[in-house]
Amino acid sequence: MQEPQSVQKVILEIVAELSTSRPQQIKDTDRLREDLGLDSVSSMEMLSMLAERLDLDVSLEEAMQVNTVGEVIALSERRLGKA
Amino acid sequence: MSVVILGAAGFLGVNLVERLLADGAAPRCVRRRRTNVLHLRALGAQMVEAELHDAEALARALDRAELVYHLAGHYPRFSNDPAATLATGLTELEVVLGAAAKAKVGRMIFVSSTATVAGHPFRPSTELDVYLQAPGLGVYHDLKWSLEARALAEDRFPVTVVCPGACLGPWDLRNGTSSVLLQFARREAPEYPEGNVSWVDVRDVALGLSRLGEITPPERRLVLVAKSEAMSHLGARVAERYGVEPRPPLEAEVARQRADLEEARARAGGPRPNMARELVDLIVHGPRIDAEWSRAQLGLGYRSFDDTLEAYEGWARRMNLIARPLVVAQERWG
Repeated sequence: MQEPQSVQKVILEIVAELSTSRPQQIKDTDRLREDLGLDSVSSMEMLSMLAERLDLDVSLEEAMQVNTVGEVIALSERRLGKA
Repeated sequence: MSVVILGAAGFLGVNLVERLLADGAAPRCVRRRRTNVLHLRALGAQMVEAELHDAEALARALDRAELVYHLAGHYPRFSNDPAATLATGLTELEVVLGAAAKAKVGRMIFVSSTATVAGHPFRPSTELDVYLQAPGLGVYHDLKWSLEARALAEDRFPVTVVCPGACLGPWDLRNGTSSVLLQFARREAPEYPEGNVSWVDVRDVALGLSRLGEITPPERRLVLVAKSEAMSHLGARVAERYGVEPRPPLEAEVARQRADLEEARARAGGPRPNMARELVDLIVHGPRIDAEWSRAQLGLGYRSFDDTLEAYEGWARRMNLIARPLVVAQERWG
């Protein structure tokens, strides 16, 4: 199981890969669409890549509810039993 | 039978995977590295990673497949560079066909589009109506014609081409052909031009593809369309369902200009267009289509528009694409 720090690191790496932001520029409060420029399709791709990297069980319904980086982290940690 | 699907994570792909799994098949789903496979994971689908330009990875993914569904024909996001779009599409297809030959696949079903169905001056178009050259009706039309022509010219293994109409139904996450439905459901009166729309429920297309995998039809080209209707008529039916006053259809040239403007905004980082250029071209130039021959070949009974909308709306609500509660008209239409 991944440590919280590494979970956050993986998330920031994936977000950075799909957006124009660098990991160190990304904040928990950043909105995926408005602040990071990820449209709905890219947001889904991001959550899908995350689910594969961390072996998370995330449904599309849950993924569609996520709006910020912090919510991505919270969802991941819930699935990993960290929260 | 060993079955491989290229483009399994897309709108039609997910529906086909669901269909084949329900039929007891275990398709191998080829997916790009960067794509949304959340639902395929939830279905427990077997996945293999390969990009469409990677001949070696594709050959491994297709190895000795008895049946390959190719649903991953290039779909251009933008229409401003026809030459590059055609080059990308044809190059990717050439790589796929080469990999399939190397992998000694038994047969391929290539999914094209009704954009390749030519209009007929005196009767509804059928499977027999084909443009003799790229129709010049827009980038999407020319791309689909070119891809289909190349697929039908393949002689290393049998290829059957399937041309589905405008697919409607669950799992249209990119909000493509469903964009008009979604806008109505959100109580926004969408803009669209006048013309013919040949629509079909995506689940019926998936069923048709599944059945086509079990037979070899006498013709190499099938068209899957439930019904051809005037866009204004279809729009009025959806508007009534959601209690929205429909706008009068746009003149074709105005619709093209609006679509191009929305596309330019999207290229500059704006939202995806509500009115995509290819949809405008498909509606404006859409022929009336009679797909009875293919329907009979595959033993299909197409769902009604009402059933299709019910399924789409239920799915879109689950996905939070329709956020506000709706008051749906009590009277239903068939």
